[in-house]
Amino acid sequence: MQCDWLHSGPQLWLRCVHRQVRLRTGKQEEHRGWLLTVDPVSHSVVLLSFREDGASVRVVMGHAVKHVEVLQEPDQDMAERLRSFFHPPTTVSLDPEELLRRRLAVCRWLQKNRLPVEEDGDELRVAGVLTIKAPYQPEDCCSSNQIILDRIQRLVRLQPDPHLETIQDKLESHPLTDSRLTRT
Amino acid sequence: MATPVSVLRLPKGPVPNSRGFDPNSPRFIALCRTSIPTSAAAQSDPEQLQEEQHARSVLRERFLRCLLAMTNKKVQFHMHEKVNVEATFGASDIDVLNFQVSDLHTPIGVQKEALIRCQDVISFTFDV
Repeated sequence: MQCDWLHSGPQLWLRCVHRQVRLRTGKQEEHRGWLLTVDPVSHSVVLLSFREDGASVRVVMGHAVKHVEVLQEPDQDMAERLRSFFHPPTTVSLDPEELLRRRLAVCRWLQKNRLPVEEDGDELRVAGVLTIKAPYQPEDCCSSNQIILDRIQRLVRLQPDPHLETIQDKLESHPLTDSRLTRT
Repeated sequence: MATPVSVLRLPKGPVPNSRGFDPNSPRFIALCRTSIPTSAAAQSDPEQLQEEQHARSVLRERFLRCLLAMTNKKVQFHMHEKVNVEATFGASDIDVLNFQVSDLHTPIGVQKEALIRCQDVISFTFDV
């Protein structure tokens, strides 16, 4: 793990994650910190160090890394701090009724915008290529197609608040006044 | 040092034939020769290949979250010849070859928008 840092595989790097390392970038320049991750594409090393007034992150570019040495394992406390560092904020769990209401609201909104959407258990499947998981916010959309993902996310973001159901919506949902049914 | 300067050099446009991590794209070969391929051991053993791929994706996801945490924050870039500049981080490209930054404080003034080449950067730091 010394000069072959660049050539060690991702498995070795993953094993070093969360350990305290000392890193040399040549010319007597040294950095110490807790290893957060190593980018497999650019080999950049991300180190976290704590100060009295907070924490700072240093990213050392892969081409500048000359020598890496593992110093110590983290203790329980530190391990927990490192683990929770880049986690996305945990979503508040909602009761099933609220989730169902939201799911139906999003489903109706997408159908109103002429998109084929079907319910798949707790998830919504749009056009067979995008999935929306609970709690059906724009961040919960998953797809392997970037363009569709972007479009659907924008659409979900634009969804009007279901609590403010307009007169228009009420008229549209009534069979006698629904313009789609009375169109010639 | 707050005098804004006009753009000195326009950035290069996107290359039409580069897609994701394509190791055969001319841009990648020219600029990013050090990217690691699959290890020889993993190439022959599918189970090890899967493990290696899993390790890669975990590491890459963490790195991307780190970049996300950095957006719109003040970042200090430590470059060659002991040059240190401060800027507001915007985005990185997929191969981590260029960083888009705003309000780059240079010795000759403040660049409103700039592209920093990652080969010029030794390390960069930001506070969380």
